[in-house]
Amino acid sequence: MDDELLQDFLVEAGEILEQLNSQLISLEQAPDDKDLLNAVFRGFHTIKGGAGFLSIDPMVALCHRTEDIFNLLRNGERHVTQDLMDTVLPVLDVLNDQFERLQSGDELDAADPALLRALEHYTTPGDGPAPAATPSAEPKPEAVAAAGNEDITDEEFEALLDALDKPGGGSSDKPAATNNSDGDEINDDEFEALLDDLHGKGQFKGAPPADNTEDKPAAASGSNEPEEPISQDEFEALLDDLHGKGQFKGAPADAGQSTTPPAASGAGGAGGGGGSPSAAPAPEPEEPQSAAAMVAKAAAGNKERPAGETSVRVDTARLDEIMNMVGELVLVRNRISRLGEHAGDEELSKAVANLDLVTSDLQLSVMKTRMQPIKKVFGRFPRVVRDMARSLEKEINLEMIGEDTDLDKNLVEALADPLVHLVRNSVDHGIEMPDVREAAGKHREGTVALTASQEGDHILLVIEDDGGGMDPDKLRQKAVEKGVMDADAAARLDDNECFNLIFAPGFSTKDQISDISGRGVGMDVVKTKITQLNGSIEIDSAPGKGTRLSIKVPLTLAIMSTLMVRLKDQLFALPLVNVSEIFHLDLTKTNVMDGQQVIIVREKTLPLFYLKRWLIKGEANTPLPSEGHVVIVHMGNQKIGFVVDELIGQEEVVIKPLGALLQGIPGLAGATITGDGGIAIILDVPGLMKMYT
Amino acid sequence: MATRVLVVDDSGFFRRRVAEILNADSWLEVVGQAENGEEAVRLTAELKPDVITMDIEMPVMDGITATRQIMQRTPTPVIMFSSLTTDGAKATLDALEAGALDFLPKRFEDIARDRDEAKNLLCQRVRALGRKRMATPPTTTPASKPISTSSAAPAPAPAPRISKSGTLKLLAIGTSTGGPVALQQVLTNLPADFPLPIVLVQHMPATFTPAFARRLDQLCKINVKEAEDGDVLKPGWAYLAPGGKQMLLQGRGSQPSLQIIDADESQTYKPSVDITFDSISKVYPGETLAVVLTGMGADGRDGARTLKQKGSTIWAQDEASSVVYGMPAAVAEAGLTEQILNLTDIGPSIVKRVM
Repeated sequence: MDDELLQDFLVEAGEILEQLNSQLISLEQAPDDKDLLNAVFRGFHTIKGGAGFLSIDPMVALCHRTEDIFNLLRNGERHVTQDLMDTVLPVLDVLNDQFERLQSGDELDAADPALLRALEHYTTPGDGPAPAATPSAEPKPEAVAAAGNEDITDEEFEALLDALDKPGGGSSDKPAATNNSDGDEINDDEFEALLDDLHGKGQFKGAPPADNTEDKPAAASGSNEPEEPISQDEFEALLDDLHGKGQFKGAPADAGQSTTPPAASGAGGAGGGGGSPSAAPAPEPEEPQSAAAMVAKAAAGNKERPAGETSVRVDTARLDEIMNMVGELVLVRNRISRLGEHAGDEELSKAVANLDLVTSDLQLSVMKTRMQPIKKVFGRFPRVVRDMARSLEKEINLEMIGEDTDLDKNLVEALADPLVHLVRNSVDHGIEMPDVREAAGKHREGTVALTASQEGDHILLVIEDDGGGMDPDKLRQKAVEKGVMDADAAARLDDNECFNLIFAPGFSTKDQISDISGRGVGMDVVKTKITQLNGSIEIDSAPGKGTRLSIKVPLTLAIMSTLMVRLKDQLFALPLVNVSEIFHLDLTKTNVMDGQQVIIVREKTLPLFYLKRWLIKGEANTPLPSEGHVVIVHMGNQKIGFVVDELIGQEEVVIKPLGALLQGIPGLAGATITGDGGIAIILDVPGLMKMYT
Repeated sequence: MATRVLVVDDSGFFRRRVAEILNADSWLEVVGQAENGEEAVRLTAELKPDVITMDIEMPVMDGITATRQIMQRTPTPVIMFSSLTTDGAKATLDALEAGALDFLPKRFEDIARDRDEAKNLLCQRVRALGRKRMATPPTTTPASKPISTSSAAPAPAPAPRISKSGTLKLLAIGTSTGGPVALQQVLTNLPADFPLPIVLVQHMPATFTPAFARRLDQLCKINVKEAEDGDVLKPGWAYLAPGGKQMLLQGRGSQPSLQIIDADESQTYKPSVDITFDSISKVYPGETLAVVLTGMGADGRDGARTLKQKGSTIWAQDEASSVVYGMPAAVAEAGLTEQILNLTDIGPSIVKRVM
């Protein structure tokens, strides 16, 4: 298959799939929204068209049947029910899966016949097991009446008759129903399905849950312009040549009798239409009154030229490369500005200031090209929450705020799993059963709120639920049971520290392991992942009120704001995200508790460490200075003080991986080149703490 | 000048593919792309393309509404892309009624044996429509011209020797591109007590003919049905050849019936006008009035020749009123026609001749 075409198709299909994901969920809330039904129909229709063009038959088969269902829905011949959604939503999962396989160049398996059959079941009128909940579950008379009009084919009619003949009509999972309610042809898939049925139950229920919506770079939504196969001049020449031969006879004389205006003839015909009950129905005029949003969107698009011409597709590897080079530029900039300071030349300073500005802008612009709205991740939550709420029988309202907040593509991808995990946790462990909530005087429906916002060079993500919250005592008890700490240590923990216990490896408070949100390995994995992104995660909870998790991550992974410090004659960079404050301290005024030197800052006791002792060779037992600079760093709710020799200042650094020799040493995150051309090690604060404390 | 084409589809992927295919044809040039009906209407006025390829399902404004508006404001030949489903048939017929001149299935493979053939077909159809000049829709029926000799073809055949009104036993009509609208125009002129049976051969995919027959039936005073194997011809009834098959007339004397057979892979047209006409010549050799309406290609010429040789009467639609002056031209240029008529005159002329 032509790869270029395939990519072109995938870009479009990916966008549509993403839209469908949210549209389908909205549909459950607004099952009669015509515009929405039309949009969903078109989504499947368009994917089918493209897949058909590329002969991706399994995809066509699925989309085709789903499209049929939505055609019935939008024509009001069927209504959205939960059961129907339960059948249609897995289609999206399968499509997403197919999409990924196509993307990675794999062959597609034929669409699951059980799923196809389940879908067909909904396009067969008069089927029995239409849920009782449906007010208008196609009563048979209606279907029969429909047979008289043009919207039902003979096949369908036959199928209907078959269905009527059969006891327990239309349960299409029975082999009998599979075969040949619709007539003469049985294809391989159906045959296989039949075999499956005979051998045992279909595997449809086992369809994997939604996995991921593909993350495609925004920039990739562009397109290739069709190429001119022939130059303009050549073309003109060719035309001239041909023209002479009279290829075109010129317009036929306008005899005033063009093709009959169809409207007129249609009307005339209808007028005379003897016994026919209805004239040709006018096409539905709904489209023009589509949602204002859609019109607005289209209008916005129209201002420019067709979307296809304004964007190009860029390989993400190329963006990474550019980002890397900008990183190098930032380093050179740092270097030059350092040199400029020393030179004291005014002209040079001006030039340097200029360079500084341009570099910053460039850095920002490049960063923006890599930005994607967090929507990419958020988009999957309605579905996740919906499915979980359904299976747990909870009532949950999901609120999402700040979906348009942009962050680096890599971050979006990296955040996806942790966020899904946290949301699942909130739904599974946070929100109580409706009856429990009611008994506690709360609304039956729980709320999970997802918020994303940019704070300076960080993104703040908050997952908040109004569920049962966490009980610190229970956590303490659990910690002791699990052997995470002894009873005394547990008792000394303040509430906030208790909440942080859930991030400890192997800590799960749910007595019963649910297969929905992991097995207690989750939270520490989440924490590790966030930490890897130079981010931090904080938790706060009030029993009976709910839990709030906040995640802070930098806007980008490639460039990091750091606090440069000096230990002896070496430079080290502390990620600014971990730095809470710095101050000068008279080190004689420290105390010792449990053999650990501590300082008291605003009535809080913080352990104090000498970074030099850890990191500089031969300084492990160096005597303490009488005073020094202290950097308070934090991770989670834990804070500690580091004593350093000198504070250099804040610097943007480009993270370079460590050489093979240094790889994997705990506490070191990477290295960077400093403004004066030296090398500084970037410290990994959580790693350091794990290693040395 | 190359034929300038506007491509309308909400799928960028599909637009690009269609544009690629059309641009690869040196006679065609894609001058614009629209992603919904509203944009299509606007760009049609702005760019004045020669032909528009139009999708049906689109946001903001669908292709049918767009076609209707375009026909009102800036009449331009429109070729619809439709899906070959029952609903697709309905939508396509609506689109044809709205003024679209031709249609193609969105899955090209459905009409062609391979990708290249499909591409050729698409370009061919677009080129054919590109030659069509749309006049502004006539408000009233223009002064009728019984015989239009618009083509340089050999002079029309001399007056019939055998056929006289009263001796005719069958009306047969064959058509292709532009046929749905043309057939509607002709058949709606026939009164309920039309004394002859009518056989209709319209090039059309199998999924479309049932809907088309139903539609004609609703619009016409005569009865129209999709022909079924074994149908016995009755006066006042029109039998539409089912798509994907071939329709033959069999039997002799008073009760001839229709035979529907599977089409052969090698046959280009399913149903084929030639095949049906040929079978008619055996049953009603000199008692048939055969009319060839608008359409691409030359299907119908050979069948008409056989009919003519046996004494039947052949009429053809004229160039000015044909969407594509191919099939009627083939018949006319072969010197088989007794009359070449404007579409608006064909219905009344039939009535005059027959009743």
